[in-house]
Parts: sequence; C-alpha cells; structure tokens
Amino acid sequence: MGDKKKWFSLDFGVSKGEAVSTNSSCGCGSTSGGCGSHNAPPKKEPVASSCGCGSTSDGCGSHTMPKNEYLITAEEFDAAVEGTMVGETRKDGFQQVFDVKMDRRTAFRKLTASLLIGAGAVQTSCSAIAGEETKEKAQIDWEEQFKGNYKLMTQEEKQATVDRLVRSYQLRKKENIKMSATDASKDVLFGYAFNISKCQGYMNCISACVEENNQDRNSQMQYIRIHEMKDGQGFKFNEADDNYYHEVPAAGHFYMGTQCFHCDDPPCVDVCPVEATWREEDGLVVIDYDWCIGCRYCMAACPYDGRRFNWSKPEVPEAEVNKNQHYLGNRMRKKGVMEKCTFCIQRSRSGNDPACVEACPTGARIFGNLLDPDSTIRWVLENKQVFRLKEDLGTEPKFWYFMD
Amino acid sequence: MKVARLTYVLVLLCCVFSCKHKEGEYHSLNEKIETESKKYHGTDISSETYIGDIQTIEIKEGTHTFLIPERKSQIKSYACIECHSKPLNAMQNGSEIQKAHWDIKLNHANENTMNCASCHDGNDMNNLNSLTGNAIDFNKSFQLCAQCHSSQFEDWKGGAHGKNIGGWSQPRAAMTCVNCHNPHEPQIASKWPVQFNTQKVKERE
Repeated sequence: MGDKKKWFSLDFGVSKGEAVSTNSSCGCGSTSGGCGSHNAPPKKEPVASSCGCGSTSDGCGSHTMPKNEYLITAEEFDAAVEGTMVGETRKDGFQQVFDVKMDRRTAFRKLTASLLIGAGAVQTSCSAIAGEETKEKAQIDWEEQFKGNYKLMTQEEKQATVDRLVRSYQLRKKENIKMSATDASKDVLFGYAFNISKCQGYMNCISACVEENNQDRNSQMQYIRIHEMKDGQGFKFNEADDNYYHEVPAAGHFYMGTQCFHCDDPPCVDVCPVEATWREEDGLVVIDYDWCIGCRYCMAACPYDGRRFNWSKPEVPEAEVNKNQHYLGNRMRKKGVMEKCTFCIQRSRSGNDPACVEACPTGARIFGNLLDPDSTIRWVLENKQVFRLKEDLGTEPKFWYFMD
Repeated sequence: MKVARLTYVLVLLCCVFSCKHKEGEYHSLNEKIETESKKYHGTDISSETYIGDIQTIEIKEGTHTFLIPERKSQIKSYACIECHSKPLNAMQNGSEIQKAHWDIKLNHANENTMNCASCHDGNDMNNLNSLTGNAIDFNKSFQLCAQCHSSQFEDWKGGAHGKNIGGWSQPRAAMTCVNCHNPHEPQIASKWPVQFNTQKVKERE
C-alpha cells in the first residue's frame, strides 16, 4: 500500500526498520501505524494475529518484543492476553464490548488491563505507555490530515481511514465506536414521501434525528423543520412557524416537514469548489467532513435550506453519542464544516428506515427504494397526487409530498 | 479538395461526438426511475432483523402481501369465552358476575350507525362480526374496519396509510389499524410537541 499512496506519509519513527512482516495484523490499517507491531525481529513473532486491546487497534504495543531484557515471555504474554479476553477472541471491536453483559466499571477494567499488558511488554523501549499513545495519536492525526478525498479512495483506503478514526476515538475518549464505510448497493435509489394530511406536528422526528445523527446540542442544530401553516393559503414559508410550542394539531393549520431532499441534480454539489460533497450511486447526497473547507457555497446554493453549518465545535455528551456511525453520516463533525440529513446513511444502507421514519407516530413519513416496483414508495408515487417543492428548478428532489 | 474533405470529416466527427447521448443520463428523474427499475432484480439487503421481537402474521390482500403484528396474544383477556361462558343477557342480568369492560367507552360514529353488535357477536365472542354476520378473526380485524373505511384500506395496503415496521426492504411489515387507533374511540387526541428549540428563539430575537 505504501507506494500506492496518493499523499505523503510521515513516519514518527514508530515503525523503523525493513523487517516488516507481512502477516502481522496491525489494526490501525496502515503500514506505518503507531501500533508498534513492526518492531519485532521477524523470527520472534508468536503473537501474529490477536491483540489484547480489542479489534481495530493495536495500540497496546503488544507485538513489540523487547530487545534487551524480557519481563515476560511470549507464552506468558499470550496467556495474559487470553485472560483479559475471557474467550472472546472471535468477536471484535464493538461486539467485544457491547455484546457481553458487563457494567461500565468492568469495561474500563478490561481496557486498562489490556493496556497494562502492553505497557509491560514495551517497558524496555524506554517510552512509557503514554508516550506510545501520544506517538500513535500523532501518527493518526498526520495520516488523517494528509489523506485524500473520500470519493476518490479505494475500498482499502476507506477502511483504513475508518479504522484510524475509530482508533483515534478510542485513544481520546476511551470508548469504542463502530464506524462503517459501506458503499451504495446496486439496484437501490432512495426516495422519500411525506403525507401532509397525516403530519400532526408532534416533532418526534426532529428529536430522533438529533439523537441519531449526533448533532450539536449547544446550538440545537436540527436537520428537519416542521412548518405550521394556515389551511387554504398554500405554502407560505415566510408566514409559517417552525418553532411553535402549543398543543398540536392546532385548529385551522396543517404541518409539513422539510429537510435535505437529496436532489438527483443537486445544485449544492455543482458549486462545491473542492468536491467535498457529491451524489452517491444510491441517490444520497453526502459530505466528506474532512474534505470540506467550510466555504458555505453549498448552503447558499441549496434552494431548500437543507444544509447546516457548524459555527462552533459540535458537542454531544459522551453518554448520548450514537456509536453506530458511518463515515459519510453521523460520525462526529468538527467546527467549520457543513452537515445535513443523509437519510441516516448508517441505517438506510443496511436496510433500516431513517430515524425520522421510525420515530414518526403518524406514519406520515414513507421511505424506500425507488427502483423496486413493489415498494411502498413506488405505490405512493403511482397512486397518490404527489408533488415536490420548486419542481421548476429542475433539481429533481427525491422527496415527494402528498395528501390522503 | 483534400482539405475540404478533411474538414468535412472533422465536422462530422465533432457532430457525432457532441450529440452522443451519455449512457445513464436521463431527461428526468421519473424517466430514470422507470428505465432503471425495468432491470430491477431485487437487492440482497434485508430488513428482517429490524422487525425485532414483534410476532407477525402474513396477510395477502389483492396484489399486496405483507406482515402485520399478531393480535390475539396481545389482548389481555383473550380468549373471550373464558369469561363469556353464558349468553350475553344472562351475564348482564346476573348480579353474581363482576362488572367488566367498564373502561371501554364507545365513541365511534353515532349510535344509529354503530353499537357493540356492529363488530361483536354475542353468540360468538371469540371472533369479530362482519356487517353480514360472518365471523372475522381478531388477527385480521382490518377486514372489519375496511367495510366502512375503504379509501384508508386501499392506502394502507399500498403503504400510504399507517406506519411501517422495521426497515424499507423486504420483508415488508406494517402496523395494522388497531395498533394506532383504539377501535372503540378511534379519534387520536391532541398533544404537545416533544421538543422546543430555545436557541432558535434567541437567534430570531
């Protein structure tokens, strides 16, 4: 992978020497990772496949064989690793931590134990575990800083950046997240229908969306807006109220929701100067948060006000972070980048409904595959009077409104 | 002469290439959906896991086949004949039997149109009762509702009315009428929105 890289890679000296073994598993996804796994002389490599700290990461330095003095032998080390894992060697990452019954304290103890074992193994290298971690963090940050545009990455490169982000989160927050880089499936084009007669303005969709997509709690960012409009006057967004607080449905009013419509010919994509946003094969318009420069051209270009900007550092209490993430979806954003609804890419690409659809108690929200002639969304499009907003612009939104 | 021919060929080539209709480009989204769904062979994405622990039964109505939640096991005092062991008038008059169903208030159409007997059969309490006196299984109570609410029934079968269960892919599962509407009092009461954005108020001041 080293020579195929499209960007420059800096080595902090963690992976020196040419004695890199091909079969050592370094979960950090890079040949020059900070896991220290390549330090070992090739012949002494008893721990080729399992790393005690769990899954995606080899930050424990467990594969580093001390050069001068042995504190523990390889066998003892193996046994210790097995001890901490309690027979979970087959599971990895997220499952390891969350698929077994354990309380917070046990989880921490396991993590700490694994780290301590690593610390014991690397003691001769003069660097304390903190030093090793700092090096790894720096290495990850460097590689993240100089990685390419997600759109141009190969599948391996996508996986590598996802692994780095997971590891980085683990190092910084001591929590395991699950992040996927699932690509669009063939024969899928996502579409959405919204029943104006059914929406009652409860706003369950908004709360569910905020929780699912890790939106900034301080600025109370929300992708979805529910507009309360007067009956019989058409859509007057300037007169509508999207932040009401009274018993709903209010007499003489109807409710309609707006969010990103995932246009098939999206103007936001055309204006992006760095191609940090694009339309995926399954119709989702996505953003690479690490490639976005925050110029907000897309925000200005969107005729539907579907995009949001992080004016401050987005903050979510650790306990409320949704750890089921997708690179293009609800992973944690940073200050100064755009974000928006992705039809919950982390859910929809694995067959689930977006959070807003699941949360709506009225069934006003319908989601499905436009290419499947038997899907409910197709039935709605073919049998109800549907319309879209600002159809004359030619943006071809994949979000239809209809009435009973 | 040669130059003229060359120019002609060049112009022709330019025309041919500039008029080339790029594959996969459509005039409109509808055209795209129509064309691409002709070669649709299904996806390998399944939504089965998202249905969760809900027990379902498969129903087939017209061209639509989908799952709805099983109902009988969710009714606390089913089967009804465990209490309804005597004819209804005997139970209503007998003072030794405790009052039941005191919490049920009937507020569904007016009393000229509907009463208990519109849906229940005193002689066959374990089943519902159609307008013509045929038995309808409690699991398929939608057939009872469909007698009057035919447009809602059509929408529900297609997927435009009612709430989807699980994910967007196969197998399709949907809530049935009584999962949202209380059949004795089908009107849904108004309530408060679940959230209020205080930041938005500040920003707009």
